[in-house]
Amino acid sequence: MGTAFSNLPENGFNRYFHPEVTPGPSVKPTFDPADGFQGKRKERVMIATEEEMRSAKLPLKDRDYCAHKLIQYRTCYRDKFPFVVRCGHEKHDYLNCQYDDFVLRMKEYERERRLLVKTHRTNVM
Amino acid sequence: MIYVSVRNHWNKDYAPAPFPKTQEERLAAIEKYQVMPSQYKPYEDDGSGCGDYPNLPIVSGDARDPFYPWDHPETKRNFGELIHAEEEMYAEHRYDISARLRVPIRLQVLQTVGVMLGLFTIYCCLENVKFFHSLAEKQYPKPGEKHYTFELE
Repeated sequence: MGTAFSNLPENGFNRYFHPEVTPGPSVKPTFDPADGFQGKRKERVMIATEEEMRSAKLPLKDRDYCAHKLIQYRTCYRDKFPFVVRCGHEKHDYLNCQYDDFVLRMKEYERERRLLVKTHRTNVM
Repeated sequence: MIYVSVRNHWNKDYAPAPFPKTQEERLAAIEKYQVMPSQYKPYEDDGSGCGDYPNLPIVSGDARDPFYPWDHPETKRNFGELIHAEEEMYAEHRYDISARLRVPIRLQVLQTVGVMLGLFTIYCCLENVKFFHSLAEKQYPKPGEKHYTFELE
């Protein structure tokens, strides 16, 4: 993410000049998730249930795979208020989870891009 | 005088006399304003209300010499000096009519238009080149949809 100054414009130019091998922003992966893997990929597990999220009044945008950690953090925040500094661990935990989610999205994008390049190459040849 | 300036802000002596039509009136005005007879030139009698007040050359406050020992250095004026009828337009904190610009005004306009046009050109060229993070769609758990990590079982 520190290379945003080089890779953001690069993405833009690649998308403009080579749209066939550059996925757009927030692309939904089009290939079979199992493509190119030797074994079976681990499935992502959602820990917080719908009822929990609803009773915690989580906004829809926060109901992702880190929701249980957010609920933990919010609970701690409420219990320890106003000494919320003690929820540092919960917060750190949640933000790390979001970071991993971000990295996973980057990986998905890169996988999509490489598979596009591969199919494009085979189609041309 | 304090009463006049505080309560009424004005008295009849502040107003100029009517426009001088005869030579006597003209001489009276010259005597009143203490100007050189050759330099006395009243405003035109076009209803602007300046009467016999002399039409002085405009010298902005900024253009007056700051090192001259003025009687009132803060306004750069001498005691009893005639002030321009529109002095409040050309005081030091107002418009400087005799300014000598470092960059001529035409060049300034050109610079502004040039910068704006340059930016607009860049904007037009990059209109279809949108920068974005290389990120796939954010994954939300939904019924009937499966998401995977990059680890193997």
